[in-house]
Amino acid sequence: MFETKSLMVLIPALPLAAAIIVGLLGRRWLKEYSHVPVVLALAGSCVFSLLLLKDISNREPDAKQVGVEVTHTLWTWAAIPAAGVTTPQIKATPNFQIDITLRADPLTCMMLPMVTFIATLVAIYAMGYMHGDPGYWRFYAYVGLFVFSMTMLVSVSNFALLYVFWEAVGVCSYLLIGFWFEKPEAAAAGKKAFLVNRVGDFGFAFGLFLIWVSFGTLNFHDAGDVQGVLGQTLLANPARYAEIITGSVALAIPLLLMVGACGKSAQFPLHVWLPDAMEGPTPVSALIHAATMVTAGVYMVTRCSPLFMLDPRAQLVVACIGGFTALLAGLIALTQTDLKRVLAYSTVSQLGYMFLALGTGSLAGIVAGMFHLFTHAFFKALLFLGAGSVMHGMHHIIDMRRFSGLRRVMPWTCLTFLIGSLALAGIVPLAGFWSKDQVLAAVHDRAHDGGPFVYLYYSAVLTAFLTAFYTARAFFMTFMGPLVVPHEVGDHAHESPPAMVFPLVVLAICSIFVGITFDHSLGDFIVRTPSLACTLVAGEHGLEHHFHWDIAAISTVVAVLGIAIAAYFYLGDRRQINALTRIMQGVRLYGLSNRKFFFDEIYHVLFVLPLKGLAALSYLIDRWLVDGLVNLCGWIPRAVGAVLRNIQTGVVQFYALAMVLGLALLIGTLLVWKVG
Amino acid sequence: MSLDAIKILTPELIVILTATLIYVLGAFLPGRHWGRVAMLGLIGAAIALYCTYEYRFWPEGAQAPLASVEIKGPIAVDLFGQYIRWLALLVGSLFVLTAQRPSSSTPAAEMVGTLLMSVAGTMLVGSARELGLLFLGLELVSIPTYVVLYLARGDRASQESTVKYFFLSILSSGVLLYGFTFLYGLTGTTDLVEIRQILLAGDDTLGAGRLFGRLALVLIFAGLGFRITAVPFHFYAPDVFQGTSNLNAGLLSVLPKIVGFTALVRLIAIAMPGYEVLAWRVAIVLAVLTMTLGNVLALWQDNVRRMLAYSSIAHAGYMLIGLAVGLAANMEDVSSVALFQGIGSTIFYLVVYGVSTAGVFAALTALGEPDKQVDLLDDLAGAGKTHPFVAGCIAVFMFSLAGLPPLAGFWGKLSLFFSALGVDAPTGGDTSDLRKWFLALAIVAALNAAIAAAYYLRIVGVMYFRSPLTTLAGEGGRGARVALTASVVLVVLMGLAPGRLQSGANKAAQSLLPAPATPQVAKLP
Repeated sequence: MFETKSLMVLIPALPLAAAIIVGLLGRRWLKEYSHVPVVLALAGSCVFSLLLLKDISNREPDAKQVGVEVTHTLWTWAAIPAAGVTTPQIKATPNFQIDITLRADPLTCMMLPMVTFIATLVAIYAMGYMHGDPGYWRFYAYVGLFVFSMTMLVSVSNFALLYVFWEAVGVCSYLLIGFWFEKPEAAAAGKKAFLVNRVGDFGFAFGLFLIWVSFGTLNFHDAGDVQGVLGQTLLANPARYAEIITGSVALAIPLLLMVGACGKSAQFPLHVWLPDAMEGPTPVSALIHAATMVTAGVYMVTRCSPLFMLDPRAQLVVACIGGFTALLAGLIALTQTDLKRVLAYSTVSQLGYMFLALGTGSLAGIVAGMFHLFTHAFFKALLFLGAGSVMHGMHHIIDMRRFSGLRRVMPWTCLTFLIGSLALAGIVPLAGFWSKDQVLAAVHDRAHDGGPFVYLYYSAVLTAFLTAFYTARAFFMTFMGPLVVPHEVGDHAHESPPAMVFPLVVLAICSIFVGITFDHSLGDFIVRTPSLACTLVAGEHGLEHHFHWDIAAISTVVAVLGIAIAAYFYLGDRRQINALTRIMQGVRLYGLSNRKFFFDEIYHVLFVLPLKGLAALSYLIDRWLVDGLVNLCGWIPRAVGAVLRNIQTGVVQFYALAMVLGLALLIGTLLVWKVG
Repeated sequence: MSLDAIKILTPELIVILTATLIYVLGAFLPGRHWGRVAMLGLIGAAIALYCTYEYRFWPEGAQAPLASVEIKGPIAVDLFGQYIRWLALLVGSLFVLTAQRPSSSTPAAEMVGTLLMSVAGTMLVGSARELGLLFLGLELVSIPTYVVLYLARGDRASQESTVKYFFLSILSSGVLLYGFTFLYGLTGTTDLVEIRQILLAGDDTLGAGRLFGRLALVLIFAGLGFRITAVPFHFYAPDVFQGTSNLNAGLLSVLPKIVGFTALVRLIAIAMPGYEVLAWRVAIVLAVLTMTLGNVLALWQDNVRRMLAYSSIAHAGYMLIGLAVGLAANMEDVSSVALFQGIGSTIFYLVVYGVSTAGVFAALTALGEPDKQVDLLDDLAGAGKTHPFVAGCIAVFMFSLAGLPPLAGFWGKLSLFFSALGVDAPTGGDTSDLRKWFLALAIVAALNAAIAAAYYLRIVGVMYFRSPLTTLAGEGGRGARVALTASVVLVVLMGLAPGRLQSGANKAAQSLLPAPATPQVAKLP
């Protein structure tokens, strides 16, 4: 019905158009109907994404092609002839040309439906959640822009444009996190997210500079004589990569790209912005954590796989950052009392899982990482929207110590949240189980060779245990036990409106089935991405599917163990406190309970205090040294100007004299300086 | 002069005839609606320009019709001339729109007619290929400018600035003419193509000829330096800008720059081969002085027009980079890509700068009212709240002038800086020296761009973060609003898709030489 190329354009164009319409008409005319254009556009985008997915999945790679790709050049953005650098590897001086080119390949086609589907549900959900907010139209305008940026980010076929939309996503997230900018915390959180992302982008930009210098182009695809960085010509003959980028550059490029990914995908040490990003409206959190923004880093690393394959050290760094972040965030999540914050750290942790999988450097690992990204998007969106539903009912109170037993007043939220929790914990047969199993299997395969991957494997298993524990804890504290609601709410605690429950139910159904449905097919589909299909990544044999019984058993055992221990602590705890049960031994439980807080203190000493010290030190350096230098630099031009402005006397005779003197000076120089 | 010549000059003739019509009828019909007649004239000229040559910058290779109109004589029929004429018509239309509501003491017909005259002069300079015609074109820009400056406002400040501009402009014209005489004395002809051939043949190497050539070069630089406000010939700009109206300040910061750079390219880069080593060094020195002084002094200004005067000086410095690149490249290899790229990026920058600047002054006009215009930076305080649309447009222009992506100014600066970095002569002895000079130039330019951001963003800051001190009338007329809207659309469009304009500018630059060279195509081995 639609041509591939028009689909590729329509998918980002619809959210953009909706954002413009709402941005222009929202305040005066649309008002409380501001959601209409955005929801329709996102739904349309989602349908078109699915059509594109169908189209691409029906294409078979022909013999001449590596993988499946379709590119569509809209117009030339910039063309500066012969602007490039000449290096020993590239003889001719390349043109600096950036085309606005969209691409469709399996990787893009996997991301697009996921992004637009979840964005659509979030937009529907927000109809209930944001109802009555004075910035209702503004919210929808931003969401449209956000989804446009994200769909473009995964569709563009050029590093420069990738960077542009990378930044655009950052700007949109800044606007959305700081949406309630009257709240100081929200404004600060928005700022923090923006600034931390700048650090990552700085590295990313340097990575792009190196790519430009090495390849002489920033295109992914081949265009005419220009061989793209991830184009067919190079991918068909991957040995060329090792010739083009050599030595330390081969390590520097992936590491700098990884710095960018760390910023966007909240990996250690740039993970700090994500938990604070909770200050935004909850649908935004769901959008950021599940479908857009944080997945950009994972997408980019996957897209650039051939560049990461050149140096095993780069892969190891990615794996270590991922494994460490997963463990760290899992540990932090254990003791958080803010429901959304638990989920935020859980996102950081799960993203760490994805990077760990990507860092294995095997095709199975990369596929596992992307699969985990895919399933995670559904259940994390579900959990966030569930948390939002709780917040909605609790009048924006989200401290889990203030309420419990909500299963009675919010049955739908409770049920869907339970499904999401089980999926996140990795319980058979829900979504998280299948993808986590693939990740663990990929890491386990690398652990056969010994080395750091052995430790990474064990830490990943430990993380799986922690995940199950904190997820169960959050569920038990919120929904189980006796009914307690904050006194501000009184007896107004209620289930959320249908607009909010509907997305929860849809996502819950997805969380149950996406894992088992796409366990093999998603992998088989995305390995046809040119970046992954090249022999550099694929190795001699393609993707093999075999179910790892041992790993499945281990992960199930640790998940159940985690849930059981959580149940023992938190359900037992409440009964002990409230009813002084005879079965439980009070002292021992109090002791355990105390130990939980004791962990908090350790975290404080281990992480918070040193960071604060570092912050204080940085502040001092910044205040006295950096600021001084900056002020000095700012002062010099003004001082020079202060001296020079005195010659601007306003006397016309002087001006004429100055002109003649200038001319005389030129002629004098010409006489003395014998050139030409 | 044959019929062909008249055909070639149709656009200029239409503009001049329109101006004459406005002058004559204006005496009988006093009114303020002459702007519409002027617009009609400009549109007619644009159509004539389009029909006469059927020329398009795109699609590729659509320049065949030009070859059939090959004419020996004072008028160059090349894409470069077309480019400048289109540019003159574009900014001319913006200024005519802005002039829709002049102050009550200004006779509207004379004002608009004179404005058209200087537009016609600019167009003429674009295609002039002869010293006499070139000078005539330059004066056709200057003389109406005196009148326009005088007509702007009836107060003393306006008169003072007119007199200043008049005297200094005449001085610079004299210097330029003096340079022309040396050039004529050296070669015995006023035709630029013949001058080029004589100098290429090396007939000037005997006796004092070489010295005369160098004197001519320096004098031409000095004379045209006034037009482009290059340091130290810039002194008039801040005073004159401050004393005149916003419209005139816009006119002064755009049209003289267009003619100045056009004449510099035609005279020095093309007509004077053999003097490049001197020429590019002079250009570099002027560029560095001009941009640095302009930017540094702009930091101190509280008067908007004075600040923008220094800003326009600084932009002249940036554009000199492209000229210097073109000159340096010319020395090594006539057909080198860098020559065209240097000149191409200069004329690309002219468009970017011209539209942004015309837009800024249209916006300032729109914010004021006919008899009380916006003068001080403080006048703009709080404009972000009181006049959100105009203030938003000003912010876009400021971002573009500061060179922030993805607006037009960014691409302008990027191509200029890239062209400077691209100077790496493949043969010859002192190539490393050459490269060092241009690397230093690029670094100075980048530092200057950083300094410039300070005062551009200051304007944005004043508009958005301060509360209003005075009430802005916002009664500058509908024409000014249309002009600023058109400018802002162009600035954004040129930011989103500068590719075609860039390649058009490069093609225009390539058309300057009789045998256009094909640039080498980038290939990976």
